[in-house]
Amino acid sequence: MKQTEISSERNSSTDAQNLEPWTNPTVVGKPLPRVDGYERVSGSAIYPADLILPDMLHAAILRCPHPHAIVKNLNTEAARKSPGVRAIVSSADPEGKLVIPYPWWVPEGPPVLLFDQHCRYQGEEVAALAADTPYQAYDALRLMKVEYEELSHLLHAQDALKPGQPLLHNTGNLVRRPDTYQRGDLAKGFGEADVLVEETYETSCEIHATVETHVAVARWEGEQLTVWVPTQAIYEEQKSLAATLRLPVSSVRVISQYVGGSFGCKAELSKHTLIAALLARKTRRPVKLALSREESFLCAGNRPPNVMCLKAGAKKDGSLTALEFTNLGAVGAYADWADAAGWAAGSYACPNIRTQDTEVYINAGKARAFRGPGAAQSAWALEQMIDMLADKIGMDPVEFRLKNVPATHPRTGEPYTSIELRECLLKGAEAFGWTKARVARASSSDPVKRGVGVASCRWITEGGPPTTVIVTLFPDGSATLNMAAADQGTGTKTIMAMVVAEELGIPLQKIHVEHADTGTTQYGKSGGGSHSVMVYAPAVRAAAADVKRQLLEIAAGELKRPAIELSLKDGKIVPVREPGQPKNLSELKDLTRREQIAGIGHPPPEPKGRLIASFGAQFAEVEVNVHTGEIRVIRLLACHDSGRVMNPLTHESQIFGGMVMGIGFALTEQRVLDDHQTGRMVNANWHDYKIPTAKDVPFDQLCLTIDPKDAECNSAGAKGVGEIGTVPTAPAIANAVYHATGIRVTQAPISPMQMLALLAARREAR
Amino acid sequence: MTRNVAITVNGTERRASVEPRLLLVHFLRENAGLTGTHIGCETSLCGACTVLMDGRAVKSCTVLAVQADGRQVTTVEGLASGDQLHPIQEGFWEEHGLQCGFCTPGMIMCSHDLLGHNSNPSDGEIREALNGNICRCTGYQNIVAAVKNAARKMSKPIAARAGAR
Amino acid sequence: MLPKFSHVRPSSLRQAVQQLASSGSHVHAGGTDLLGCLRDGVFGAEKIVSITGIGELRGINSREDGAVRIGALTTLSEVATSPLIAQNYALLAQAAAAAASPQLRNQGTIGGNLCQRPRCWYFRGDFQCLRKGGDTCFAINGENEFHCVFGGSRCYIVHPSDTAPALVALDARAHIRGPLGMRVVPLGSFFVLPALDLARENVLRSGEIITHISLPPLAPGSISSYRKVRARGSWDFALAGLALALKLTGRRVDWSRVVLSGVAPIPWRSSETEKVLLGRDLNPRTLREAADAATRGAEPLSQNGYKVELVRGIVEESLRAIMESHPETPSERT
Repeated sequence: MKQTEISSERNSSTDAQNLEPWTNPTVVGKPLPRVDGYERVSGSAIYPADLILPDMLHAAILRCPHPHAIVKNLNTEAARKSPGVRAIVSSADPEGKLVIPYPWWVPEGPPVLLFDQHCRYQGEEVAALAADTPYQAYDALRLMKVEYEELSHLLHAQDALKPGQPLLHNTGNLVRRPDTYQRGDLAKGFGEADVLVEETYETSCEIHATVETHVAVARWEGEQLTVWVPTQAIYEEQKSLAATLRLPVSSVRVISQYVGGSFGCKAELSKHTLIAALLARKTRRPVKLALSREESFLCAGNRPPNVMCLKAGAKKDGSLTALEFTNLGAVGAYADWADAAGWAAGSYACPNIRTQDTEVYINAGKARAFRGPGAAQSAWALEQMIDMLADKIGMDPVEFRLKNVPATHPRTGEPYTSIELRECLLKGAEAFGWTKARVARASSSDPVKRGVGVASCRWITEGGPPTTVIVTLFPDGSATLNMAAADQGTGTKTIMAMVVAEELGIPLQKIHVEHADTGTTQYGKSGGGSHSVMVYAPAVRAAAADVKRQLLEIAAGELKRPAIELSLKDGKIVPVREPGQPKNLSELKDLTRREQIAGIGHPPPEPKGRLIASFGAQFAEVEVNVHTGEIRVIRLLACHDSGRVMNPLTHESQIFGGMVMGIGFALTEQRVLDDHQTGRMVNANWHDYKIPTAKDVPFDQLCLTIDPKDAECNSAGAKGVGEIGTVPTAPAIANAVYHATGIRVTQAPISPMQMLALLAARREAR
Repeated sequence: MTRNVAITVNGTERRASVEPRLLLVHFLRENAGLTGTHIGCETSLCGACTVLMDGRAVKSCTVLAVQADGRQVTTVEGLASGDQLHPIQEGFWEEHGLQCGFCTPGMIMCSHDLLGHNSNPSDGEIREALNGNICRCTGYQNIVAAVKNAARKMSKPIAARAGAR
Repeated sequence: MLPKFSHVRPSSLRQAVQQLASSGSHVHAGGTDLLGCLRDGVFGAEKIVSITGIGELRGINSREDGAVRIGALTTLSEVATSPLIAQNYALLAQAAAAAASPQLRNQGTIGGNLCQRPRCWYFRGDFQCLRKGGDTCFAINGENEFHCVFGGSRCYIVHPSDTAPALVALDARAHIRGPLGMRVVPLGSFFVLPALDLARENVLRSGEIITHISLPPLAPGSISSYRKVRARGSWDFALAGLALALKLTGRRVDWSRVVLSGVAPIPWRSSETEKVLLGRDLNPRTLREAADAATRGAEPLSQNGYKVELVRGIVEESLRAIMESHPETPSERT
């Protein structure tokens, strides 16, 4: 017994990079409140918008009101003379020609000029100024005179490649060569099918709409630039700013300690950040630039709209024989991603598949990664298609999905480190009371129809290097964790502090987290792709283990015992053979002399030949009032395999929040462009762009989990949870609406307006 | 063009000479330096800027500072006494009624208004009371739990609460 | 950010009316609509005249003749939670509670709710539309899913108020003070169709202020309700709404008021529906005919045909609920 303990101690202390996941953690896995909760509930958290620096100026941006236009003339004279104005930048300045680099995940695209005289989207930046107060900045903005030559605009992906349409870039309207994937023999697969279904699905452009708009505060000290900006990716922003301003990377410091929500829209250098930096350099005063809500709707990213044509076949026994998935997506005016089809190739075990993603430019704000990018749109189509097939062969939709759960990744053939999709479906269905709920229907005379729906999901996550974190232990038993990770609300700080507490046996209250500052923290991957826990938990654990190793070595020297006979419990050194005689850290003279022990950690490489993915199934119950088209989601149940749940509170909150975002995607959210006239967005505000409120979400939400005890994915045993929660919700709701009404709504969102129109059309058809 | 105002913020009278167009939220953030009241839309929609004016929740982006002249304004910074958080603040923390925290001060102030006239609200009443506050992160579930947590605590005598802590 | 304006806060109605005489002056009560319009440049203001210092504009009182007086500065919250209103005019309490969001109901006033400007996204947005002095109604060929199906001509706004249709259904009257003294206008004649005037939504002339609303007593035993359908659960204007007041004997309709919201540039009283109901028993056939009458004459635009379905739906649904909660008309009376 003791022997085992000792050897496990040795494992963890000598080989920090190859730790096994915890077997009986005492801190990790507990529902602990956030370590940064105090500042968030007390109002003392300083988000970048809250910074008030001495002598600070306030900037505002003049934006093109047209979706497509040439700036013929810009007159800033009156604005320049307006009270309080200190500086103006525009295309007339050399800085106007600066080119903003694309983030690393967008390998190429047409150059993005800071102030391009050819404006390709409504809201494109034309000029900017800084003044003593925000009111003065906006007063001056109203005095700027611009003469535009309006160009004809392109708003729909379906039109982009037709002849005679306006060309956004001299390379044309195609973003990149269409991405095609194929396996098996599609024609043969369709031939083998007992049933075939064909359908076109559309999703609407959805806006991230974080409650905090984008904002930047810039300050120069000599040639040293500091920028406070809410971002998931401090190093991405630092690199891009340095490249644009031709500064050494070390001369740019990006700080992002509080982020008021992101969901993917705050992960790359935005023009406003560069503008703040330029105005601050011109004036040699700090500059704050906060976007308005309207600006954030127009030019701070979105989930691109997709048109998805699917054809699928299945046998009577429920096995999928073939799937063809063709997607057309509109990225907006500059390069990004609007893919969807490729995701479907990995979802189910289907031998014959062809997917194609075509992405085009349109005259609208550029897309940015948005929680489950591509996967959410793909699921809207595929998960409804699966239900249509199940319906056609008369099979239960849960059973149909169970029939087609893949054993390995269908596209690459690689096995997953763990996959509990089957269990998610089974456990979820049972807890939901699926079988009973499928049968129970409202009486035919009642205008309120009830229905239930299911959808499943998968999200591939990648952890691994490069990332460096440092854990520092002090003789009083307190510790500092230093890491690059931002915390956009997910609880990363809390979870990582828990990892330190777990590893070093010291209380959470004694751990301080220093983070998200390129000036003081080491390089770390950005918080995106649901990988924060996968990247940082192993790295933090390795750093803490490094501290522990050094500490035990010191203790071994002082206590004249081999290190492997010592352990660290509750912040004390405990001899394994005499657990009753612990020694306080402050009693270790060597430690006191050294003042601190610093441990460094990196995430180990990803397991070779294995894929890491999270899985889940969600169940929705809806009520549809066929007299009014009103749709209420009355129940949501999620059952997810995200590996180890590091903290049930933060995990569940990710799922609840993801599902509610899915409600918005399914029922209410939609960018509306003035289609046949001006091409401008008519609902760039929070009244007309409808985000779910507390009254739009069901009281009854449940989040179940399945822990596959994944020992391969990483040393935390955890997979990602940030994005997957939003992926299956919308199609589960759409499937429930079909179950309730018999109407298949292929176009998101399923507004009462659309529902009523479809109900009326059906009545007429009868 | 400026007007003199005297606004009592969190119990302290603040006098200033302001433009009539200055919004209360800007007065609080820029003049009084109380940045816990956040701006999410400046158009009365999101509720991030909710404060109490004479005890009732209002959206401070839709109140002029001159309108608040002579009135009592409470912001999130005014709830705690010393380092003892208000039970509503504790509720939001303990129940994880927040993620990014940006909407949280507004949610807390609106909950304060609710619990002021309904000490034991149902789920539905809480959702009704908070429907003018947008949260993009949490899905509202734990926010409702936070308000219930606070209601439980506030119905107990203060001494018992301190002991429980 | 708001543009510049001056601000005055007179302490009497007389002073307020004087202050409003200069051009570019706007009344400021709760400010929930005014400040948004100014910020978004829907219209400009030289001066805003706060009427919040005028005490006589506040409060809800019952008068000796059984009528109820609601001061124009009474907040929507006060209207929604007043026992006096809830007991006598359930419809109005429900409509006030269905408006906006809790904070805005604490700020917004009943007078302001009646005078709020349209929510048409072209009118509110950066579009020089007809109502703002331009030469185009963008809704005609544009995104008109939320626009009117009744009463439109040249301009296709809907009236955004929830309390307005309720007050029309309750035969309320607006008491107005202006440079020429007081006048009283029934709410049913207070609102103005675009065919009559494109620049304003009601009969208020420059310098006029609503001082209070008076509500006549409803006949004993009357019932009333407000049903609002919106695209999301709160802080949303009506896709369509129904303000309904009825006096029944058993299931027989002795008197009714049927006023629709969200479908016309003014609260849309459907006298046709009232005629169908008068003297008839509520039964499936009456319900169907009432719904037909309520939708008769609708002229949908390209994207808002659903509103016709919706009106049909809420008329039938509301009447059915009343029918089912009332005993069949005693046979000796029919």
